[in-house]
Amino acid sequence: MTATVTISKEWIPRIAAFCCNWCSYAGADLAGTSRIQYPSAVRIIRVNCTGRVDPEFVLNALDKGADGVLVSGCHPGDCHYTSGNLKMRARWTLLQMAVEQAGINPDRIRLQWASASEGQKFADGVRELTEKVKNLGPFRRGWQ
Amino acid sequence: MSTEEPRIGVFVCHCGLNIAGVVECKKVADFAATLPDVAYSVDLLFACSDDGQEHIKEAIHEHNLNRVIVASCTPRTHEPVFRQCLEEAGLNPYLYDQVNLREHVSWVHMDEKEKATQKALELVAMSVERAKRLEPLERQIVDVIPKCAVIGAGVAGISAALDLADAGFETYLIEKRPTIGGQMALLDKVFPQNDCAICILGPIMSRVGRHPRITLLPYSELETVNGHVGNFRLTVRKKTRYIHPDICNGCTDCEQVCPVSTPNSYEFWLTDRKAVYRPFPQAVPSSYTIDKKGIPACRFSCPAHVNCQGFSTLIKEKRFSEALDIVRNAIPFAGVLGRVCTSPCEAKCERGAFDESLSIRNLHRFLADYEREHGATKVEKIKKDKKEKIAVVGAGPAGIACAYDLAKLGYPVTVFEAREESGGLLRWGIPEYRLPRDVLREEISRVEGLGVKILTGKPVKSIASLRNRGFKAVFLATGAPVSTKLGVEGEDAKGVFHALDFLNQVNSGESVDLGKKVAIIGGGNAAVDSARVAKRLGARTVTLIYRRSRVEMPAIPSEIEEAEKEGVNLMLLATPIGFIMSDGVLESIRCIKMRLGEPDASGRRRPIPIPESEFEVRVDNVIIAVGQMVSPTSILKGLEVTQWDTLSVDPITLQTSLKGVFAGGDVVSGPTTVVEAVAAGIEAAKSIDRYVRGVDLSEGRPEILRLVPSAEVDKTRAEIAERAVMPTINAKLRKSNFAEVETGLALKTAVAEAERCFNCALCSECNLCIEVCKPNAIDHSLVDEFVELDVGTIILATGFKPYDPSETREFGYGAFKNVITNAQLERLTNAAGPTHGKVKRPSDGMPPKSVAFVQCVGSRDRRVNQDYCCYTGCENSLKQATQIKEKYPNTEISIFAMDIRTHGLGYEGLYRRAREMGVIIIKGRPSEIEEIPGTRSLKVLAEDLYTGERLGTTYELVVLASALLPNDDTKDLARKLNISTGEYGYLMEAHPKLRPVDSFRDGVFLAGACLGPMDIPKAVAYGKAAAAGAQSLMAPGKFQVEPIYAEIDTTLCNDCDLCNDLCPYSAITGEGDERKVMYEICQGCGTCAAACPQMAIDMRHYRSEQLMPQIAAAARIHGGMKK
Repeated sequence: MTATVTISKEWIPRIAAFCCNWCSYAGADLAGTSRIQYPSAVRIIRVNCTGRVDPEFVLNALDKGADGVLVSGCHPGDCHYTSGNLKMRARWTLLQMAVEQAGINPDRIRLQWASASEGQKFADGVRELTEKVKNLGPFRRGWQ
Repeated sequence: MSTEEPRIGVFVCHCGLNIAGVVECKKVADFAATLPDVAYSVDLLFACSDDGQEHIKEAIHEHNLNRVIVASCTPRTHEPVFRQCLEEAGLNPYLYDQVNLREHVSWVHMDEKEKATQKALELVAMSVERAKRLEPLERQIVDVIPKCAVIGAGVAGISAALDLADAGFETYLIEKRPTIGGQMALLDKVFPQNDCAICILGPIMSRVGRHPRITLLPYSELETVNGHVGNFRLTVRKKTRYIHPDICNGCTDCEQVCPVSTPNSYEFWLTDRKAVYRPFPQAVPSSYTIDKKGIPACRFSCPAHVNCQGFSTLIKEKRFSEALDIVRNAIPFAGVLGRVCTSPCEAKCERGAFDESLSIRNLHRFLADYEREHGATKVEKIKKDKKEKIAVVGAGPAGIACAYDLAKLGYPVTVFEAREESGGLLRWGIPEYRLPRDVLREEISRVEGLGVKILTGKPVKSIASLRNRGFKAVFLATGAPVSTKLGVEGEDAKGVFHALDFLNQVNSGESVDLGKKVAIIGGGNAAVDSARVAKRLGARTVTLIYRRSRVEMPAIPSEIEEAEKEGVNLMLLATPIGFIMSDGVLESIRCIKMRLGEPDASGRRRPIPIPESEFEVRVDNVIIAVGQMVSPTSILKGLEVTQWDTLSVDPITLQTSLKGVFAGGDVVSGPTTVVEAVAAGIEAAKSIDRYVRGVDLSEGRPEILRLVPSAEVDKTRAEIAERAVMPTINAKLRKSNFAEVETGLALKTAVAEAERCFNCALCSECNLCIEVCKPNAIDHSLVDEFVELDVGTIILATGFKPYDPSETREFGYGAFKNVITNAQLERLTNAAGPTHGKVKRPSDGMPPKSVAFVQCVGSRDRRVNQDYCCYTGCENSLKQATQIKEKYPNTEISIFAMDIRTHGLGYEGLYRRAREMGVIIIKGRPSEIEEIPGTRSLKVLAEDLYTGERLGTTYELVVLASALLPNDDTKDLARKLNISTGEYGYLMEAHPKLRPVDSFRDGVFLAGACLGPMDIPKAVAYGKAAAAGAQSLMAPGKFQVEPIYAEIDTTLCNDCDLCNDLCPYSAITGEGDERKVMYEICQGCGTCAAACPQMAIDMRHYRSEQLMPQIAAAARIHGGMKK
């Protein structure tokens, strides 16, 4: 399905990232204040908690043309809301299966934990997902 | 959602060059203007400046804007600023969205300007999609309770509490340790003025204690936190001191007699303290505290809960009669169980996980032996203050134990024994070489001495007959005195014995004829006993046949060893399948070999026969020892039994199917150990007492004991020591007589063995302190209390801990005696410390003539993720160096440092003073320290980085300036409060510059060294700042909370209740049309909204219809960049 797409040098993957306000968004801020450089592919959407991330948000992003989706939250046990991240983790397994069933390589989606003090970890996660998605090439729905 | 057409204003901030240096802000603003619904867009130099904000306000009016987007820095700091700006312009503050161009674009894509600008365009486009769908929201106002809880009573917490209380707010000061004062209270002098620490801290400590608006909760820990800003509910565990603090007068009498010593953390392990202690003389409050962690593993695992640690501790102190009293408090059989117990305590002994378990059984046998040797005290008859007569049937271990406890409670007890002598299987089953009869008789006669009547040769026909004779309650302990049959052909042949019959005959003094070759079937204690008895009766070869392997043998391991010494052969993994006879006389046994399969219900591996492996063993006699059964005597008639013919009783109360009739021991459990029978007797006595008094039998039972977890037992400073060996008589001398084999521990051995005890629970409940406490302040039955506090704000000031290099053995610390930490030196220079202020070398107690300080031990160290400066180490070493120089001017002092950091006012003066006093500062971190044998002085190997010279100077004392670390429970505390910790484990402030004492959670403030290393003035400043922060919430008494919470559309809801399951705050209430989210409780995480299968729940300000277009915009292509 990607056979007709030519990957030019300019191609930058588009990655939608859901960051919880208390850990990963702050972690991304810290990456900024620490001037840690990472690929510009990522577009951060702030939510209060990864527990807010409806699987539909992830599927919607892929449906609308994102090449990868990142969900980044507090470490298990450190959730500002006690357990929202655990709920996300529970959904994630199903989400991965759903994505795979839909014919999408599950490597395009990534769940990670990065605390407010882990700017480097956040940046590393972005870099890793970007590399993976780059190798997979642009994502196109079959009917497009 | 707002009905009017959206008119969005976009303001792109340059932030000087922070953004504009990378992103083309003008281009972003121009692009924004092209987006639908954007009515105005502009780029500004500093959007947050007065000018910038004025510009935004004017634009709102001029262009009739109803939505505002500022593309600048992180909303985590500036969102409130711009919301305020909107409010001032008359717009609802929630019609605002912020794009993070600085932290998320310009600072992270500094080398990709074109891509950065492109990303900025797209982020603005995403924001526009969201902004047009925003709706006005009204903030909720909550009342703030004008009370504050300060957690941690070090100098920061004390300062915060005093400021709050002085300002008129009720303040709770919660401290984990028994005293307030924190680390500062342990210091001698404080730099740079070298003031006396306790002299300046002491007055404010006592002011805290006296302040009318401060409630001090020392020795208390935070358990849970509920609620939200303005209305937190804290549950605090007030740990019991086992001493009434208001009665204790601090006289030290208890400390003098306490036999338990443990390394003193308040002296940084330089000395020991007692289990009852006061951290230091100036402690506030001044009450003593008993450090009792719970029930040690030995006592916990003992079925009769004998206080093993208690008597071991007293043996150590050579207080043998008090020690024996402790054993006898629990059981009547110190000497008997000291010989025959299977000692489950030793299996669980914490020492066992270190080297070898303590020889607990032999220690209490020693106590009984010592008393026999030195003359026992006369037993005093207990006054029978109860009228109700109790009957005990069976004078075995269970019956005697029950009678013993009942007699102690003042009941008249009669024990009926069918045989001619009491003792049960102790008398008729266990051979004399293991349990001399006089030991048994003496211990039973002590029970009689208490007033228990034992009638031997008096079988009881029926329970009714006892009732008729006026007995109010009955305890049945008739045992399981019949051997189980093997069920193998030829079992009734001549020459085949069953173990209990065999042992009974021998123990009754009847003669038993055995041939030369004897085989025993079984692996339990009865089997081993039979084997050793057979050997003593003259059998030439005795073979013990057991179907599993040696580790599965249930007999006491030392008994098996002794049997082997006496010449008993073990034939393992074999079982008999038939007895071969000739003329009705046993000739040989037919056996089959076994292998071990999967573990069965008992946890032991199941033996499986190996096909075609049969073999024969020629024997003259066989003794079958494969189990015991209850004999169906008349007294048991009418009582419910189990499928194994044992009595069926309530597992907790031991009551049988007949009211007032209790049973225990082997008659209930089948054959088990003596100590379990004794435990059953003890439990039955409790039940009988309750029954007679008419109290509920099962209420509060079984008693819940807190086992001291293995992890809480400090083994770091223990040294390997061998377990005491029980002396035995020579195996050759044992033939043909029944003299006791084990001769008992010598006094010296017993004391040395007791010293191996780890004191797992610390306080061992030896109760010596109770006797000496004149005001009767001690009560070992006190329990922890829980108090609930409702407060509006919380301040955390839980401090730090000094790094203990003993784990890493850095620079030989822990191995070389004369390498100490600066915290330890602080105690040595302190007049209240172990040396009363004299600096002495730990190895020989002499004042050192030369001292080296090594800086940055554990600090600025990437290897252990402690890559930060301890902030206080340099000044502290300079201070300590000058202190030593003042007292001993001729001492040679060198400080080895990477750099000396003396920041701020006053510290440079200290540096100069030290230099002037002759302190040498060497730039360079030592590579290694070597101990000189003999003198135990230390050679410090280092390179002087200024001269390049290699140094190898010898010093008499080395002081490590060790790092400061976050306290152990910081992480746990952060989780309880839902706040964050940073990279190094310290608590994290909301903003490192502008909000240094705020946490991420509204209403929770941070102060002192829980935030990172601090010196005292800084910690005090933070404490006062946190108090000011808390006051700024409490003084107005109102707080506006974010109107971001979940809403339920009940027309869509199908009442699946999933939301209720997921909500961490239980904020969802009602059913059907009544179902709603309680907004004052909802924290706005949105987990319910994401999970609702009906899409009936939505989050205000994070609605799906607001997020979905933003997501779509993030995924779509904008600005002409080709994909």
